[in-house]
Amino acid sequence: MPDINLTDWQILLVKLAIILTVVPIGALAGGYVLHKEMAHMQHRLGPMYAGGFHGWAQTLADGIKFIYKEDIIPAAADKRVFTLAPAIVFAPVLMLYLVIPIDRSLIIEDLDVGLFYLIAIGSVGVIGVLMAGWSSANKYALIGGLRAAAQLIAYELPIVLASAAIAMLAGTLSVVGIVEAQDWPFLVWPPGIGLALFVVFLAGAMAEMSLPPFDMPVAESELITGPFTEYSGMRFIFGFFFAEMAHMIAFAAIGATLFLGGYKPIVPWEPLENIPGVVWFFVKTAFMVFLLLWIRFTFPRLREDQLQKFAWKFLIPVSLALILVTGGWVLYA
Amino acid sequence: MVMTDQKQRLEEARKPGFGFGLLKGMAVLLKHLFKRTTTIQYPDEKQDLSPRTRGVIALKEENCTVCMLCARECPDWCIYIDSHKETLPPKREGGRQRKRNVLDRFAIDYALCMYCGICVEVCPYDALFWSREFEYAEYDIRELTHEKERLSDWMESVLPPPPLEIGADVPDEPTPAAAQTTTAAAGARPATQTSSATAARPAQAAAAPKAPTAAPTPARPKESEPGVAAERGAVAKAESPPEASAAQPAPVDQAPATTPVEEREGAPPKEVTEEAAKEAGIGDVQAATTQVPNVEVPHEAPRPVALEPVEDPEAVYQQVLDDQRRKGSSPQVAEARAKVARVKAERGIRRGPTPVEVDKPVPSAPTKAEQAGAPVEPTPSGAPKAEEPAPEQGPVAARPEEAAAAPQEAGAAHPETTEVSPSSGEGAEDPEAIYERVLAEERAKGSSEPVATARAKAARMRAMKGTKGPGS
Amino acid sequence: MGITEQDARLPEEVVKQLAEGRLATEQMILNVGPQHPATHGVFRLLATIDGEVLVDAEPIVGYMHRGYEKLVEQRDYRQITNLVSRMDWLSGINNELPLALAIETLMELDVPPRAQWLRVILAEMNRILNHLMFFQSFSAELGAITPTFYAFREREDIQYAMEMVTGGRMHFGFFRPGGLKEDVPRGFYDQALKGVRQVIARLPDYEDLLIGNEIFKQRTINVGVLSKESAYQYGVTGPIGRGSDVDMDVRRDEPYLVYDQFDWEVQSASHGDCFDRFWVLLHEVVESAKIVEQAIEGVPSGPVLGKVPRVIQAPEGEVYIRCENPLGELGMYLVSDGDRRPYRIKIRTPSYSNVSALREILRGTLVADMIAILGSFFFVLGDVDR
Repeated sequence: MPDINLTDWQILLVKLAIILTVVPIGALAGGYVLHKEMAHMQHRLGPMYAGGFHGWAQTLADGIKFIYKEDIIPAAADKRVFTLAPAIVFAPVLMLYLVIPIDRSLIIEDLDVGLFYLIAIGSVGVIGVLMAGWSSANKYALIGGLRAAAQLIAYELPIVLASAAIAMLAGTLSVVGIVEAQDWPFLVWPPGIGLALFVVFLAGAMAEMSLPPFDMPVAESELITGPFTEYSGMRFIFGFFFAEMAHMIAFAAIGATLFLGGYKPIVPWEPLENIPGVVWFFVKTAFMVFLLLWIRFTFPRLREDQLQKFAWKFLIPVSLALILVTGGWVLYA
Repeated sequence: MVMTDQKQRLEEARKPGFGFGLLKGMAVLLKHLFKRTTTIQYPDEKQDLSPRTRGVIALKEENCTVCMLCARECPDWCIYIDSHKETLPPKREGGRQRKRNVLDRFAIDYALCMYCGICVEVCPYDALFWSREFEYAEYDIRELTHEKERLSDWMESVLPPPPLEIGADVPDEPTPAAAQTTTAAAGARPATQTSSATAARPAQAAAAPKAPTAAPTPARPKESEPGVAAERGAVAKAESPPEASAAQPAPVDQAPATTPVEEREGAPPKEVTEEAAKEAGIGDVQAATTQVPNVEVPHEAPRPVALEPVEDPEAVYQQVLDDQRRKGSSPQVAEARAKVARVKAERGIRRGPTPVEVDKPVPSAPTKAEQAGAPVEPTPSGAPKAEEPAPEQGPVAARPEEAAAAPQEAGAAHPETTEVSPSSGEGAEDPEAIYERVLAEERAKGSSEPVATARAKAARMRAMKGTKGPGS
Repeated sequence: MGITEQDARLPEEVVKQLAEGRLATEQMILNVGPQHPATHGVFRLLATIDGEVLVDAEPIVGYMHRGYEKLVEQRDYRQITNLVSRMDWLSGINNELPLALAIETLMELDVPPRAQWLRVILAEMNRILNHLMFFQSFSAELGAITPTFYAFREREDIQYAMEMVTGGRMHFGFFRPGGLKEDVPRGFYDQALKGVRQVIARLPDYEDLLIGNEIFKQRTINVGVLSKESAYQYGVTGPIGRGSDVDMDVRRDEPYLVYDQFDWEVQSASHGDCFDRFWVLLHEVVESAKIVEQAIEGVPSGPVLGKVPRVIQAPEGEVYIRCENPLGELGMYLVSDGDRRPYRIKIRTPSYSNVSALREILRGTLVADMIAILGSFFFVLGDVDR
């Protein structure tokens, strides 16, 4: 890398620019992967037209279409809250990308408390969802908002506890540090514990993003789109579709970082070191995306009370137990 | 009845799994991920629709005689026809002026059309056809009314009707002796191909086809096709005693190895031997479609084939003439019919029965005898009269017991029927006895229970009301 | 706490709850439908919910009433055949069947055996189509989006077979009094067998995907229990009834056509919840497939239309014929006055009776359960409203 001396402000701008380009592109790519994967799992082809070759520009075309749409605010809605809600949902997602390590030195900002920052920022979006549901002046949206609030709060804890266990295993909260601490990915070592932690983390992450089977808030066949029913045009895209895609990719990247070894090779074997870390990172993130979507397409959704039971009566006790076990492992192994 | 193992499987399925069902579900999706997709990418690729697909209706103008049957039968009244009559000069001197119907406008409003096909089915002159085309969506609804030019254009996309499956019957004129039907194809339908797969069908004891099907149609020259002659010959076997053909309808169709000439002599049906069946390659329905007759049939020009011994044309002429005269037809008609019969006998075309008086044109019509004794007034329809209060049980009395209780109601609604003197001999028979008798008859015939009871009830009602029905 | 004047303006129930010292919650009236993805059509459920619990749910039907019973008074029998397949549009030919049988009974027509066997084949194929459609809609309402495409793929083969024969994929207009409109074309048996065998081959996949799925089981076991007595009282028939241990199937109890010549079982289950209904649905598909296979093996040759007069006029009389529609018992009460048109046809549709049982089941369930129950109740709005 050539020696570039930039002032702090310029560096800040560069980083902002990177995030603001990467995230939308990532969301578009994620949307495309979603369409295609879903299609092929269902014996279909998915997008084939937009852009010519197998419809690569489908999500881009969708985004542009949404820009053209009329911006409707229901008369009975609370205008200020209504307009703010998508922003509050989307902004934290953008900020998640701050601490995702693409390579050893390719990270926007290597915070010492990277993991903590991730979890904290990830939970801000709940307020946005509640705001959207409440201000829409729509009974269905209200139900969706209530469900979402309950669900997101409930599933914070499994994520937190699983991440805490990972931090214990790695000995640091810094994201780069966690990757460096993984010779073998945490998924396979410590054996069993890593897998259990991964499952807990996955469940929590899917619930945070309102992905099926935890998508009660946006149960399409019941509540149409849940709290975002009344939104149209760009507000809808930013608050719902974009945020969901970007969030999914962010969590996929985080999962790859925490459990699959980030930018390190999948197994500590000499020849694999030649492949650059960026490639490893992308491969692992892609696998995580695939996994998340695969689960999404297979299962029906859990009912709200079953969802809550699953979180409070199963996931949280299990993750607490896992912390104990991990602690034991760290001390004695 | 719930089978025990069925119930067991249900109980097994209801037990809680421990997450493994989730993994199995995911495995199913993964499996399907790697299978080939079944998408047909319209509009670049189009599905090959069947010939009978109801896409659009095409009009063959030259066949239309403006009989208006299609417009009348259309359930949505979406066919608009305009015509006018023209008179043409007589064909020869001193003759009558000929009148002709000229079609001015024939339009089908596809915005209303429900694509039922009754118009196509009902057209007696084959002027309407189905086509598979369906891509004629318009931006303006008025464009959806296709006028006759556009309808005629659709004719180019009309496909011939597909060949029928094994065992299908091609209706023809009925002959008194034969139970099976014969060869002539109605319309443009090609004859069914023989297939040895039919030999595999178990002979259905109860499957004896009943009396001949449609109204008599004259034999028409057949299109020649490979295998057609063999089929013709095969079906000729059917004219032998009905029991033989009825008992074994399947082997009749199997004749790939025999030559047409033999069949024409009306040889009795050969028994299907195991070897013949085996070598014909049975057991697989697939064989039906891939079967190719292994016999070279010389190409024949379309010509009606003699199927029964030729009678002396003159004798035929005389016989028909006498028949008709005896029946009381006018001399011109009698002569014309006799001439036609003679020509047919000359050419070897089988004749149908020349029209004679049938006892009952329709099963539910009264026979000639009954008609003679029937009252002049027609039996009233079931609707209650306007002045009278509606009978409580509807237009038809429900039960004999209740009929006794409400005779005035029923009687008031149908004063004429009670006065009809039953000219048949069973006016004195008790309705209940009729019910029992008909029920027993039906059961003996083998009808299913609801049919039997329904017919018995209908017979009883008729007896109570005194109206006549078929077979009474 | 005491009740002040201000509180007096509140709804009664809230005042009552306040007086008892409890947390006051208000009931919300939610209109599920007439436009809603979960109801199979324009069906409205006036739900009163308290939080997530349904206090009351009143089904309101009639949004799709087209006046069938009046329409048919003005049309002759062939036109009516084309109209009635639009009642239960997922299995069009099963609607035409009781009509054809009723006319044949009144006119005492003989239906050739080939026509009867072919009718069975077509009717059972339509049953498979109908059940696959409900398999898809039930799963989609629960959130599983994939079975939709699998189900539609299987339907495609069978619909193609129906198209080969009748020309239509959904509305057929094929049965005539006395038999069929025309005979089946070459290749139909192959196509039908292919479609049906594919369904049977894929059934283990569907079972794995849904019936073995723990989430599905949690959503459907002991949810929406319809007791046997209720089923009898409301006249619930079909797979819903059989899921509640009502062991009735017109094909077996009063066989029409040639159903008594096949080897098949009536599926039933005893718990009456959504899971059982779904189970019965899936296994009925297998039974129908078995019937189709057996029927194709044994179709006799012969004509497909009996001796029928050119103008079909049923003689005076009335008859009630019932058949096993895929949704339940479909009955046609035909009153004729000797004309080309019926005097009256009263159609007893299965969905109407099935839907009437909804109110009782839905009381006290959760909103999400309401969706599951609606999904497991197999009804078609055209059938409910006619």
